[in-house]
Order: sequence, then C-alpha cells, then structure tokens
Amino acid sequence: MRRLAAVDEAAAAQGLFAGQKATDAAALAPDLVTADAEPAADAAALTALADWCVRFSPAVALDLPDGLFLDITGVDHLWGGEAAMLKDLCQRLAWNGLPVRAAVADTPGAAWALAHFTETGTIAPPGKAWPLLAPLPVQALRLSPPAAAQIARLGLITVERLARLPRDQLTRRFGREVVLRLDQALGRAEEALAFRRPPTPWFARLAFAEPISAPEDLARVSRDVADQLCARLDAEGQGARRFELAFHRLDGKAQRLGVGLSLPGREAARIARLFAPMLETVDPGFGLEAVTLAASEIEPLSARQQRLDAGREIAPEEGLAPLADRLSNRLGEGRVWRAEPFPSHVPERAVERRPPLSPPSPSSPATPDAGAGGWDPDRPRPVRLFRRPEPIEDVLAPVPDDPPRRFRWRGRMHRVTRAEGPERLAEEWWRLADFDEVETSHVRDYYRVEDEAGARFWIFRAGLYSAETPARWWLHGLFG
Amino acid sequence: MPRPAPSKADRLKAVRARIAAIEAGGTGAFGVLPFGDARIDAAFPAGGLPLGRWHETVGEGLEAETGAVATAFTAALISPLAQRGAVVWVMRRDDLYAPGLAGLGFPAERLIQVLARDEAEALSALEDALGTAGVAAAVCEAEGADLTAGRRLQLACERHGATGVLIRRRPFGGPARGAGPAGALSGSLCATRWRVASAPSEPEAGAPASLLGPPRWLVALERCRGGRTGEWLMEKNDGAHPLRLVADLGDRELAPAQPVRLVG
Repeated sequence: MRRLAAVDEAAAAQGLFAGQKATDAAALAPDLVTADAEPAADAAALTALADWCVRFSPAVALDLPDGLFLDITGVDHLWGGEAAMLKDLCQRLAWNGLPVRAAVADTPGAAWALAHFTETGTIAPPGKAWPLLAPLPVQALRLSPPAAAQIARLGLITVERLARLPRDQLTRRFGREVVLRLDQALGRAEEALAFRRPPTPWFARLAFAEPISAPEDLARVSRDVADQLCARLDAEGQGARRFELAFHRLDGKAQRLGVGLSLPGREAARIARLFAPMLETVDPGFGLEAVTLAASEIEPLSARQQRLDAGREIAPEEGLAPLADRLSNRLGEGRVWRAEPFPSHVPERAVERRPPLSPPSPSSPATPDAGAGGWDPDRPRPVRLFRRPEPIEDVLAPVPDDPPRRFRWRGRMHRVTRAEGPERLAEEWWRLADFDEVETSHVRDYYRVEDEAGARFWIFRAGLYSAETPARWWLHGLFG
Repeated sequence: MPRPAPSKADRLKAVRARIAAIEAGGTGAFGVLPFGDARIDAAFPAGGLPLGRWHETVGEGLEAETGAVATAFTAALISPLAQRGAVVWVMRRDDLYAPGLAGLGFPAERLIQVLARDEAEALSALEDALGTAGVAAAVCEAEGADLTAGRRLQLACERHGATGVLIRRRPFGGPARGAGPAGALSGSLCATRWRVASAPSEPEAGAPASLLGPPRWLVALERCRGGRTGEWLMEKNDGAHPLRLVADLGDRELAPAQPVRLVG
C-alpha cells in the first residue's frame, strides 16, 4: 500500500497529511502530483545541510529523518546573542528555499519539543524551559508511537500532567523510555548527541560584511582567524596538532583545508604559513562570506622561556618539528616518515612507517644490533627494495637449493661469483583467514649473490624446487 | 723604523687564508669529517670531508637509475654525522629500505624519509632540510642541481652547518638529462663529487671463498674544491670510520669513463 511520506503546504491546505493512503489522497485532490520517497537522498541532503550549518557551530548532530541539533554553547556571542543567531539561521535557510522550524533551549530534548510544537523562533531562557514545555502535548517528548498512543488513551494529554505522576508508576506502566525522555527534556539526564565532527571549543570565526575573493585577502583573513584562535590557545596554555580552515562561500558550499603539526603548536604565523600554499586551491566562486578555523587534538603546551642569548637563538621555524610539518603539509600525508622495525620476517612488512618525530616505540631497540624486535644484523637486507620484484631470466641453477650460476636482468647477463643462501621465507600463515590457503608456491628462497663486477643482488626462487616445473626467479633488491 | 717586508711565504699564507674565508661564505668553517687515513684525508684542503657543504655521489650505467651503490656509499659516508643529529633522506622513488641501511651501520632511527613527487619538489625539500637546526645531514636523490639550485643549497648548508649529499639518480625509464646545463657535471657547485662503482668483495679471513665479504666500492673523487682528486678501493668497516681504505689507486686528473676493475 502506498502512503504519503511528506506533503507540502499547498497539499496540507487541501487536508492531506503524511501517512495518508495514496488512493485516499488522490480522491481528495485529483490533480495531486506525487514523487517516490527517497529516504537515502533525504538523509544525504540532511547531511549536506549539517555540513553547511558548521558555519554556525562546529558541533552539528543529525536527527533523522528531518532535524538537526546544533550545540551553540559558547558561539552565540559571535552573532550577538541567541536570538540574532537563530534569526540569521532561519533567514539563510529561507533564502535557500528551505522551510524551517527552530528553537533554542538548554537541552536537545527541550529544543526539539519547542521546535516541533511551538511557533518557530522560540527561545527558552536558561533554566526556564519548564513553563514553555508544560502545556505541550506528550508527543513533544520524542516518544515512540506505541508509548505515545498508550499515554494519550489514559488522558495524559500534556507534558505537565505526565510529569506530575510518580516516577516509579511511570516506569512500571510505560517503561524506561518515557522517564528518560522526560528527564532529557528537563535536563535531569544527559543526552549524548552524535555530532558530525567532534565538538571543539577551539573554534574561531570571521565573517565579512563584503564577500571576499582575492588571494591576498584569503591570506590575510587566514592569518587573522589564526591570530584569534591562537590567542585563546595561548591564554589557556594549550596547543593543537590539527587545524582545519574552512572558507564558507555565498552559495552555501564550504571549502576546507587541513594542516597537521608533528608537535602541538599555537604560533599563528606558523599555522598561517602552512595554509598559505594551499590557499590557491580555494575556489571563491561568487565570494566568501565567512572563514572558520577549528583546532583539534589539543594538548597542554607550556610557554617556553626565552633564552638569554637571544642573538644566537634558533628561530622557532628552523627546528626539526616545523620542518616535518612543512614537508608533510606540502607533500601530503604519508610522504614523510621514520622507519621502525616491525616484527615480521616478510621483507615488505618488516618496516613500519611512523610519524617523523614520534618517540621510538619501546619494543624497538636503540641500536639495530640489539636484536629482539629490531632488524636482524645476521640477515643482510638490500638498501634498495623493489616494490614489485623484477623477473630475471636465463637463470642457470643446476643443483637444487644451490644459488644460481648466472642470470639475466634488464637485458644484461650477470655471472655469479659469490653467493650466500638460501634464506627461506614463507608467507605468514597465521594471517590467512583459512589455513588451507597456505601454499608451498608462496615460499621464497632468498640468495645474496655477487657478480664478477662486485654488484650485489638479492634474488629469490618462488616456490619449492621441483624437477618437473622450471623454477621462477625474481630480483627483489640491490645491496649496492 | 721601516718594518721588514713580509716574506713571500707569509704573504702567500695570508692570501690563502683570505681565499679560504671567502670560500667558506664568511660564516667560518663547520669543521671536517676525517676518514682516519692520511692517504684519503690528504686529498682534502682541511684533512677530511668538509662539513657544512654539499657533495655529490654518482653511479654509472644502470646504477644511474637504481642508485644502489651510491646509496650504500653515501650511507657509509654520512653515518658518523647521524650521531650528531637527524638525517633527512629525500627520495623520488619509494624504494629505500631502512633495514638495508641499518645493516650498513647507519642509525635508521635518526633517518627521516621524505618522498617527493618531482625534481623541483625534491630539491626544495633538500634545501628546506639543510637549513633546519637539528639536521646533521640531508640526502637527496635527484638528477642534478643547476647553478641556482646549487647556490641555494650552499646557502642553506651554511645556516646551521648541515652537510648535504646529492645522489644523482635518473628516474626509471626517464630520459637522461646529460645534455642540459643541469645534467652537465662540470657546472655543479658541489664541494666534492664522488663517482662510485661496486667492486668484488673479499671474504673475511677463514671464511669459505664462495661467500660474500664486506661490500667494497671503487671510489673516485672526481672533484674536490681546494683539494686533489683521487681514486681508492674502499671497504665497509666496523671501525672508527665506516669506510676503510683497501688500496690507493693513484691520483688522476680525470677518472676514466669506465673504471678499470683492478682488484678481483
């Protein structure tokens, strides 16, 4: 049976409502135009709207199917009060053709109730939501339909009458849910909202009376907004490892840039400089109306004492940490690293890439020959390891398990004069899902060989030696 | 009373000191890294590899693409510096294998690897690393540095005395840039240029002759500002300096295009 999922204002005026049978609706309004409901597309649109709302507060939570929660704690002063902020929000949504109901209250529950059951723009003064909530119907408590229907049958029409009942009776008759929702609306129980991004109090915002788009303006405002946030970080003795700069365009889209620091920092000049090379990727469109900067991964960072011999002092941007930041932000994530031993005998897996300035993990030894977790000095490894082993041809290896006498690589014949091996490396069967997948063809016999010119190669034969099938040989690295 | 005229030797000494001061960029020298063998150290103006400068290592033939021999030699050359600070290694291909460097005695925990996308990015990362306090040495795999880039590298070295090494390496399958000004070896501003080739190793005493000995390199010092050229057979060593002189192959003005394999 087809039912109406949503109706617009004109349809509602004709007496149609959501949940009505489609045939009944068609009878009431013969010229009814319907479109199939697309819950997934609605959710995607709501998510996009949530991202748009980040200009108002960094903490936005989805309330499917059609609501948003914004945690505006500590950000409303940027608009000059809650009323001005709410007005701005509603106005902007209206310009975009989105009808909206909105309310401000101490708790998500109360805000939901006021937004759904009072006229839009209601603001509950701090700690004084109860007089506004009391006359509302019980549905305002976000109850599940069965519970709401049962309560209505008992004649408990308003929130006030429900709240007057003893709590133990309520729980016994309607379950935990009703008491919990009541408590959440009145702020007696915490409610965890799943924010789209972690709420950060470390957030700064600059809005422009006139939209900007010139590159030099972008550089200037990114410095200004960084100054603002860093001053707060400095005042509270904190530093951050990640900064996200977002430019909000007139058409509602936001362009985001992120930088990471290897050590927590709060120098506005340094952060602005990290963003500077990325600003040219920002497409201002018809203009940018606001810029926000959010800091995350906050850590306490004490102020450093200036050294007395300031003349010889090394400028802060000349240290190792800023270098690592500059390089990894310029080249991209994962392009600057420090190699650390990983306990695996598979050559490709024996190296773990760690952030360049991370402290050495306790398992890794300070010196490579300390054994246990480090790379084994008795098993020499090449200085160049090919990501994909290269095939070698014309391999002459007459005796099983003996190193080859000669081989051809990249068109050149190499005659082996000295060799060491084999070192047999098998795949790590304990990492396979199914023990039956273990095959002897994945065994590799590695040899370290030297040709008559002294060039040293790391070659291996794939699979065990077999008289019938010719062995396949590969070159995996060069010792130099 | 007229002062006695300074002797010719004194005047020569004074001129040499002034030239040295000019060459050091007016910031004073950052010391040298002696090899610990007079036969090598004598080739350098101050008795060892000059620090706070940048150097070049070059491979031959296929080595110009793989860069393995130059890498191993460079790692041995600068591993004493890694005790003084971090070493930044800028690559264009992601095939440097830290366990291999650790096997050559290089402290891999001091190594910061940087993967650049192109030549310009690699050289700018090298310059950035050289100008950073706390970086003892920086290595870059690139096709070459022209006069401008070389000058910039030198200025970066002089800021905190970091030592740079440029491993000249062609991208795989890429065209040789030998004809261009950057590819021409002579125009480079490096303090020293080393041409390195592998050499057959000698098994350690008592070991079977079929086994590999410590790696050996045929090393030609092609260019040395204020010093002499030279050619040596060197071996990886566990002693004070990671490179040990096996044989002195004599001084030459220019190394032959194809080094003669003298030791077998």
